[in-house]
Amino acid sequence: MSDRITLTLRASLAHPLSAGAIAPDHFAGLTAQEIAALELWDGRTSVALGDVFTVDGEHSSNVLLEGDLAQLHDVGTTMAAGSLEIKGSIGNALGARMRGGAIAVQGSAGHDVGTAMAGGSIVIEGNAGDRAGGALAGASKGMTAGDIVVRGSAGREAGARMRRGTLFCGSVGDCAGLGMIAGNVIVAGAIGDGAGIGNKRGSIVALGGVRVPQTYAYVCTYRPPHVLLMLRSLRARYNVGVDDAHLHGLYKRYSGDLAEIGKGEILEWQTA
Amino acid sequence: MEIRGVLIDDTFAEAFGMRGARIIITAKNAKWARESANKLTGFATSVIACKCEAAIERELAPDETPDGRPGMSVLLFTMDSDSLPKRVVERIGQTVLTCPTTACFDGLPDSPDRIAVGKPLRTFGDGFQGSKVIDGVRYWRLPVMEGEFLIQETFGKAAGVGGGNFLILAESADAALDAAEAAVDAMAGMPGVILPFPGGIVRSGSKVGSKRYKSMIASTNDAFAPTLRAITKTELPGGVNSVLEIVLDGLDFRSIAKAMQVGIDAACRTGVHSITAGNYGGKLGPYHFHLRKIMSGDVEDAPKQDASK
Repeated sequence: MSDRITLTLRASLAHPLSAGAIAPDHFAGLTAQEIAALELWDGRTSVALGDVFTVDGEHSSNVLLEGDLAQLHDVGTTMAAGSLEIKGSIGNALGARMRGGAIAVQGSAGHDVGTAMAGGSIVIEGNAGDRAGGALAGASKGMTAGDIVVRGSAGREAGARMRRGTLFCGSVGDCAGLGMIAGNVIVAGAIGDGAGIGNKRGSIVALGGVRVPQTYAYVCTYRPPHVLLMLRSLRARYNVGVDDAHLHGLYKRYSGDLAEIGKGEILEWQTA
Repeated sequence: MEIRGVLIDDTFAEAFGMRGARIIITAKNAKWARESANKLTGFATSVIACKCEAAIERELAPDETPDGRPGMSVLLFTMDSDSLPKRVVERIGQTVLTCPTTACFDGLPDSPDRIAVGKPLRTFGDGFQGSKVIDGVRYWRLPVMEGEFLIQETFGKAAGVGGGNFLILAESADAALDAAEAAVDAMAGMPGVILPFPGGIVRSGSKVGSKRYKSMIASTNDAFAPTLRAITKTELPGGVNSVLEIVLDGLDFRSIAKAMQVGIDAACRTGVHSITAGNYGGKLGPYHFHLRKIMSGDVEDAPKQDASK
């Protein structure tokens, strides 16, 4: 048994690979040989994991991935426990449908981070692509639990159709929280157009300003107690960039989307 | 045994099992947290007539509370599991929900036994309420005229101990009160313990039932009432003219025993004749706090049994 399993990329990837087999909890019961024999997919053909990565360690649910992994997709799919650390950037669908455990990315991630996520945490030091915390194609709801932290910027439709859980981003592109059912999208900086369109009960917390859609109505300026609790929790667990002025400050509350049931909200922090 | 000339009687305090909850109230400042806690714990001295026993456990610094604001920790006890949620919900509903700036949290998060608190209270929101799950815990947001009231959905329930006690037998009423106040001051803020009576002190200790009135479930403890010395079977030594009682409820045996140790020691002062305790021959409750054992430093738990065995 090892403290950690390290997978080091042997050579740069020429084309995309689907690496759904790389999930820490799956590795806990496997020897190094068994891990090396797992299949990665290049379109319709498979390749042994050991042909792509060197494998150091066995029988551990703590996994380190090293190399330029931007072409490696689906890592951490359905993982339920353990930790996955990625030194560098990673491809699409990181942590899709994950149910527990922790993923930490030192670089950036592609599209669809934490799609349909149901638990655990994903922390990305760099940027993320579109639809972080969103839904599988055709599905009615996105992430249902857990936390996603993108310290840099996230692309379009961050938190689209999310049902529960928290997505914290440095900034987001257009249509953040599109069709949110519930849950929280918290943005430290800039927010693109169309935030919260189709929002039912979700909360979008804008710490750096927001263009509020026409289908939202300003209702009051107050100190929302749940935002205090959420921001304190995020700061304690992920050291996100919020300060006491965000915790205890006033927020403008906009109710919406009134074209939906109108029980959602955009909370815009007010500078003193 | 004597402490500074005060006799420690060779007897025990007899306590019984209760069910308890720890309620954390936070507010904009300590004033409003205390205001709410004082109201919540009002008229909660004894289950005999108040249906529950409650008091402030201690004041909490901002770094001790879930939302980082000043707070108060309150313990509330009932005699049975079924009535605990009723008492907690009705009191929070009337005294915390109504109080400006407050929020309300569970103070026993590790307890696997849960009671619904925010869940029934949410209906005050009349359908406009909303919930948030933060760190795996569900909270209810109730829209109110001030803004929003936040409360945790469930609270932990603990098996507690009620009725820990000691009696201060003194030469005068002033000496008894001085000693009792010193004991309360010494016990203030000790974790897991509350003193539910006014100022932590009882002047009208009771016995079970009544000699004359069948409907009374408790009546004056005539054996310790100095004015009845000549006409009842008294337990008062000569020279004793006033008795005050300290009653303690707690989350466990050890917390109460430690508090009794500190309180009794503080009460041993000039003008006090002796310290004794109330018991019913071991028939009332399974928790026995032997005064001499406690004052010898043995405060370890003796669950469901006589502490001396």
